[in-house]
Amino acid sequence: MHSILAVDDSASMRQMVSFTLKSAGYTVVEAVDGQDAYEKAQGRSFDLVLTDQNMPRMDGISLTKKLRETAQFKTTPILMLTTESSDQMKQAGRAAGATGWLVKPFDPNKLIEVIQKVIR
Amino acid sequence: MGMMEKLDVQADLAREYLTFRLGDEEYGIDILKVQEIRGYENPTRIANAPHFLKGVVNLRGTIVPIVDLRMRFGCSSAEYNAFTVSIILHIGQRTIGVVVDSVSDVMEIPPEAIRHAPEMSSAVDADYLRGLAQVGERMVILLDIESMLMSQDMGLID
Amino acid sequence: MADTSTDNSSAAGIDLSQFYQVFFEEAGENLENMEQLLLELDITAADDEEMNAIFRCAHSIKGGAATFGFSDVAELTHQMETLLDKLRRHELVPTPPMVDVLLQSGDALKAMLGRHQGNGGEQVDTSELLTNIRAMVAGEAPPVAPVAHVPAPRVEAPVAQAAPVAAVPAGAAPTSGKRTVELRVGPLTDMSLADNLVELFKEIADLGTISALPDDPSLAGYRRFKVDTASNESDMLDLFTFHVAREQVTFLPFGQAVAAPVVAEPVAAPEKGYGFFDDAPGAPSANHVATPVVAAEAAQPKPVAPAAKPAAPKVDKPAAALEASTIRVSVEKVDQLINLVGELVITQAMLAQNSRGLDPVVYQQLVTGLTDLDRNTRDLQEAVMSIRMIPMSTVFSRFPRMLRDLANKLGKKVELVTQGEATELDKGLVEKITDPLTHLVRNSCDHGVEMPADRLAKGKPEVGTITLAASHQGGSIVIEVRDDGRGLNREKLLSKAREKGIDAPDSMTDAEVWSLIFAPGFSTADQVTDVSGRGVGMDVVKKNIASLGGTVEIDSAEGYGMRVSVRLPLTLAIMDGMSVGVGEEVYILPLSSVVESFQVSEEMVKTIGGSGRVVEVRDEYMPVVELEKVFQVPRFDYEHTSGIMVVVEAESGRVAMLVDELLGQQQVVVKNLETNYRKVNDVSGATIMGDGRVALILDVGSLVRRSRH
Repeated sequence: MHSILAVDDSASMRQMVSFTLKSAGYTVVEAVDGQDAYEKAQGRSFDLVLTDQNMPRMDGISLTKKLRETAQFKTTPILMLTTESSDQMKQAGRAAGATGWLVKPFDPNKLIEVIQKVIR
Repeated sequence: MGMMEKLDVQADLAREYLTFRLGDEEYGIDILKVQEIRGYENPTRIANAPHFLKGVVNLRGTIVPIVDLRMRFGCSSAEYNAFTVSIILHIGQRTIGVVVDSVSDVMEIPPEAIRHAPEMSSAVDADYLRGLAQVGERMVILLDIESMLMSQDMGLID
Repeated sequence: MADTSTDNSSAAGIDLSQFYQVFFEEAGENLENMEQLLLELDITAADDEEMNAIFRCAHSIKGGAATFGFSDVAELTHQMETLLDKLRRHELVPTPPMVDVLLQSGDALKAMLGRHQGNGGEQVDTSELLTNIRAMVAGEAPPVAPVAHVPAPRVEAPVAQAAPVAAVPAGAAPTSGKRTVELRVGPLTDMSLADNLVELFKEIADLGTISALPDDPSLAGYRRFKVDTASNESDMLDLFTFHVAREQVTFLPFGQAVAAPVVAEPVAAPEKGYGFFDDAPGAPSANHVATPVVAAEAAQPKPVAPAAKPAAPKVDKPAAALEASTIRVSVEKVDQLINLVGELVITQAMLAQNSRGLDPVVYQQLVTGLTDLDRNTRDLQEAVMSIRMIPMSTVFSRFPRMLRDLANKLGKKVELVTQGEATELDKGLVEKITDPLTHLVRNSCDHGVEMPADRLAKGKPEVGTITLAASHQGGSIVIEVRDDGRGLNREKLLSKAREKGIDAPDSMTDAEVWSLIFAPGFSTADQVTDVSGRGVGMDVVKKNIASLGGTVEIDSAEGYGMRVSVRLPLTLAIMDGMSVGVGEEVYILPLSSVVESFQVSEEMVKTIGGSGRVVEVRDEYMPVVELEKVFQVPRFDYEHTSGIMVVVEAESGRVAMLVDELLGQQQVVVKNLETNYRKVNDVSGATIMGDGRVALILDVGSLVRRSRH
């Protein structure tokens, strides 16, 4: 059973993502911002991290960087959930070590489709 | 009774009525407004209230005002004995109890059986009368209990 | 995606409507938060963290609105976000009109969300707002001076390389020294933004020269210029960021053939809406989506100084942290809990009463158990009641905005000061006290505070102050609305009263004159503005407060200002009461108001003026309130006459109540009489005694007041 860490400061988004993923058979752990996600990541591993960008305390880019510095997350797929697909965003994401991005708003089906490409 | 016109029936006129007695008269009210029927218990008096407002009682934790309809309608006697009954009504958002001599039954009264009440002076304002129903030998006075209890002169609302 | 209205509800088999409610609540909170932040924003010294927080509010609403298909909301928030983004990057300077437009947009969003939730209301026309926001984004009413702009360190941009528009390999333009370069600006949604750069070159003499190049058809959305300059590239970027974002500017060697269309015009992207980075950790190898991205960039994650944003590491609004330690509970559940505790209190009182006669030796365990039960019930009661207590700040929160809008409308300058925000009151009271308080604040602003010019002429500060203060006093909560305006005019009030046929002799004390305001239909306003003049008078305010079991008092000093004090009982769903017997009836006095009691005999009670009765208590004479008379209690047994005085205190006044006997003390569940009946004079509520009968709880305050007349 694959497990996913879903990070978003919006409760409605978290619920939606969580529900979608669980319906597709994944186990989901939710975090309310980067800090929360980082803490929850300690001492365990996930098959995928989905993270929003704009969040209080610690944003998505910072979270990505910190995770990449952590042993068990060096190669974990990290997908940025972003509201824009600008070059700047991609630059930043790539530089931080993200695996890819998904633009919001997204169709729940697409989420599953994209996830299936990275989770093995 | 004289010539009386058939009542213009509105589609939403209640069909089932709870009937009760006040002195010699028989009244009927919309059954849907009736929550329950209880024996009479001595209410806690409230000063400066109209004389027919006997006070308030505890109904499973809710404070309910009790109105003695016999006194309201100016009946000659208003006794409190084993047969005296309080009809607990649910009117809008409020729960209110009325004291009557006894409760008769629940009956279905078709609109055709209802006649206009004639204009005459009585303790009950004609505004509150829905009409007069002929049921066999009996005449049942149909009351619009809601408008009556909610009217200013009842003193139940500010 | 999400460009149909609310038709997203069953996107691909998943019913999104189940998440709507959470989204609505969340959006509501974000809107409130945003409004508060906007009101608190100091335009002259806008805090980065604040701007980011405001941005995040709009951003969050946008994300959800777009996901769940509320496209009207998404569109407006998207525009707001664009403006806020520029503000937080210091590309625009905040101005009052911007704050106004954002506040108004917040209102529009509230209305739109309300409609989506099914609350009805008219269709919201946002066209004007959108136009205004776009204009502001475009820099109309441009910033006054290029402020020292260390560009707000953007978290996302790791590298300062001035050529983020990738795919142009090699041959990067020399960055300084006199040279000619091609300046490429874009992608731009508003092409005229680039014209601002031309202006810059005109304004700043030694920046260099600039001339426009024909647009390249393969570069839709881009403007091209030829620039001769000796300036350093990064200096120029610093200047440019006022008008266009850094990443929209590229310096290229002049004459360079235009390379293959620069990627990132996400023409492809939106269709796919996702992508992977080549060689990124975890990227799919086989079927990776070849979105041509940032090839020129070194791919290693650079350990950039983390969180350059000045505020990031700070724990801001502890919304996230709070999430973990609070839970939402519906009000119905809390009320039900309180009712059940109330029933428990009644049952416990009944047990206590019935066990009074028991021999404590024989029934030792039972008596001990009942004592424990008494304590447990009290503790439970306190704990449960505190659930419903919320701080006054929730009441005060709406006033800054309301006052700002009102003051603007009236052309007055008013500052709102709040005190005692942490003072708690029962949630039920909060909802009911808001309207009367609103009216009082409006009154102060409309009729109290003078126009700025008048104030100056009087030697007062131009900006008037309205103060909202809350505090606990004894068993009550006192809320004051104070202003430093013109105060009440005694003569005017007196003459107005006489006009209305109210008896108003000159001998009236000031306090009595001020109370005239509470008479129905009373308004001495010279003009009835549509703000506070319509129908809602002070009489209604007083009535509303009275129905909550409270009182209102006015104090005023002409020329200096006015103070309105509202006093409300703290939640009294359960209270300690003393029961007294009068005739055959039982009445309850709030124990907190009882000072003492003693026996009296006839001689100790004296008469004044034929009807007023007083009793000597130590060295003072105290008015006597004969409950028997007040409540017209029928007396059947003349042997058993009143012999006990209970001294009570309320509103800094004391009276002695004459009763027949003291029956006991118990915890009492307060029931509202007005639920099914109406307000009864001198009675604040009712309760159910241990024997199941109803007893009336006396309103000591009103009894004290009545004795004064």
